[in-house]
Amino acid sequence: MSAPAAAQPSRFLVAYFLDDDGILAATKASRGAGLPIFDCFTPFPVHGLDAAQGLKRSFLTYVCFGLALLGFLISLFMQSYTQAIETPLWSGWPLIVGGKPFLPLTSFVPVLFEMSVLFAGVGTALALFATCGLYPGKKPRFSLPGTTDDRFALVLDPAAAGFDEGKARDLCQRHGAAEISWIEAN
Amino acid sequence: MSAPTSELRQPLVLGNPPYHQITDEVLRPMEQWPSKLWWGTFAVTATWLVLGLVAIAWQQYEGMGTWGLNKTIGWGFDITNFVFWVGIGHAGTLISAILFLFRQKWRTSINRSAEAMTLFAVICAALFPLIHMGRPWFGAIWFLPYPNLRGPLWTNFRSPLIWDFFAISTYFTISAVFWFVGLVPDLATVRDRAKHPIRKIVYGALSLGWSGSNKHWVHYETVYMLLAGLSTPLVLSVHTIVSTDFATSVIPGWHATIFPPYFVAGAIFSGFAMVLTLLIIARKVLHIEHLITMKHLENMCLIITATGMMVGLAYATEFLVSWYGGSNYEGFCFYNRATGPMAWSYWIMVSCNVISPQVFWFKKMRTSIPVMFVMSLVVNVGMWFERFVIIVTSLHRDYLPSSWAMYSPTWVEYITLLGTFGLFFSAFLLFTRVLPAIAIAEVKSIKKFAHKGAHGHAEPAADHGGGVPALHHAPAAPHQGV
Repeated sequence: MSAPAAAQPSRFLVAYFLDDDGILAATKASRGAGLPIFDCFTPFPVHGLDAAQGLKRSFLTYVCFGLALLGFLISLFMQSYTQAIETPLWSGWPLIVGGKPFLPLTSFVPVLFEMSVLFAGVGTALALFATCGLYPGKKPRFSLPGTTDDRFALVLDPAAAGFDEGKARDLCQRHGAAEISWIEAN
Repeated sequence: MSAPTSELRQPLVLGNPPYHQITDEVLRPMEQWPSKLWWGTFAVTATWLVLGLVAIAWQQYEGMGTWGLNKTIGWGFDITNFVFWVGIGHAGTLISAILFLFRQKWRTSINRSAEAMTLFAVICAALFPLIHMGRPWFGAIWFLPYPNLRGPLWTNFRSPLIWDFFAISTYFTISAVFWFVGLVPDLATVRDRAKHPIRKIVYGALSLGWSGSNKHWVHYETVYMLLAGLSTPLVLSVHTIVSTDFATSVIPGWHATIFPPYFVAGAIFSGFAMVLTLLIIARKVLHIEHLITMKHLENMCLIITATGMMVGLAYATEFLVSWYGGSNYEGFCFYNRATGPMAWSYWIMVSCNVISPQVFWFKKMRTSIPVMFVMSLVVNVGMWFERFVIIVTSLHRDYLPSSWAMYSPTWVEYITLLGTFGLFFSAFLLFTRVLPAIAIAEVKSIKKFAHKGAHGHAEPAADHGGGVPALHHAPAAPHQGV
């Protein structure tokens, strides 16, 4: 994901807005007018922008569930194996503690729960960084001034079908763009 | 923009500052040389920390005999401090995760520092079992199940102490992950403002190349919610499991099924008091009174009163059950707790935790900074004594009158406790210097809330028909900035 394909354009048209309402309206209008939206860059998540931009729900919920299940199974195996189960492949070491049963599933619940949460939490965060291609030392693809502070950038893709610079400039200006300019991608 | 103002819901950010001003104000403390006040406080807390380290080193060198424990009282300051610090941490997770799931937008100004507090508190807590081992470098070997040459002899998963190990380490890890995920967008803000090359490199690496892309925000928001969803049952499980350390034993005074909810309520109670202590100071020192407003403090006072009464109910229930249960030993334990030689600690606990938080019924009291500050300290003293009462008074007079004993902690134990306070406050002070103490992105996203968006939410008195924004109030509020 971090290696951009050679076919990707290096120049993009960017419209900057000073308010979340502005970018939201402009994004909706651009999509309605058939202008190709590359992405939006905002200092905080703007509500409704996902839908306006046509983004799908994140799939990471399924990843999270799978990881929780994995943690659950691993800790179930570890606990049963170390406490009780003997097979030809390994020898468990059943400990007699107060005459309690060797395989008390209820006593395993706390560790089962903790390990499910541990796997799900750490794994989902790593999956987030992997999905977004984030890692220490990564350079953001665009350097859009102020988008982590107080500016909201709508980036349009000039290489995609339906791009029309005049129409785009006109539309963004109507929705109160503070600045419209071309930018080189890193 | 003609922003309709609702007087029903107080704004969460006063004055409706521009986005850039929020960035500036939150980051200013970390972009300038710390004040004399900061250095002075840090000097004091760092001294406590150093004293604590000396005490810990002495315990490791000389052995656990430096503690005031005896045959009867096998657990004293160590576990009291452990439970106390774990409890402090719980408010952080409550604010960051549970209030997030309940869409309590007022949490946004305080969640970052509360989460930091959680991490530091859990570190302080974890120190005590580690020291208690005598040879802490074996800690991981004794607790982690790993293939070994002892038989193989594995850890006993039927023991609550092992559950505790897994609970605390998971809690720390997940809190750290949650905190870091929340920090990434703000670290990118710091990176983009950085002027010094080293600062650029450090914050550039920490922010992982975050750009604010909405394609990333979609995943980010989902993951943030998932982590909140995972942390919520986690935080409840942690103190539940801590309470099973006691509840699964057969010691009168510990052997109670009420312990898990009782401990969780107490943890939230003490944690909120600690958040209050820290934030009252932080908002003043960092000049962010309009971001952490009186409303935030007032809400925390209300939670303190509510959880304080839950704790009070638990104290009463314990007594009721010891009488109703008809066990002589159980009955004696509680009679001795309230009237025996350690009754002073019991009554400190009751007056600090149950009686004094009742002052917050009065609006004047819960909006007065000095009252709040004193109360936050009182509650923490009370909650420390709660753990002391449960642990020491239950142990000091057991089944056999010939083995009854008293407990007098040694200087080593006092200094170690002081050392953990030093660690906690020093870490918190450093945190306000190197990381944004307020979640900038989140505060920006709720800035307009109550200036503009309040009417969209269920307002009990806003049913004036037609779903019109609450315009019938004259826009008299001074924060009509836009």
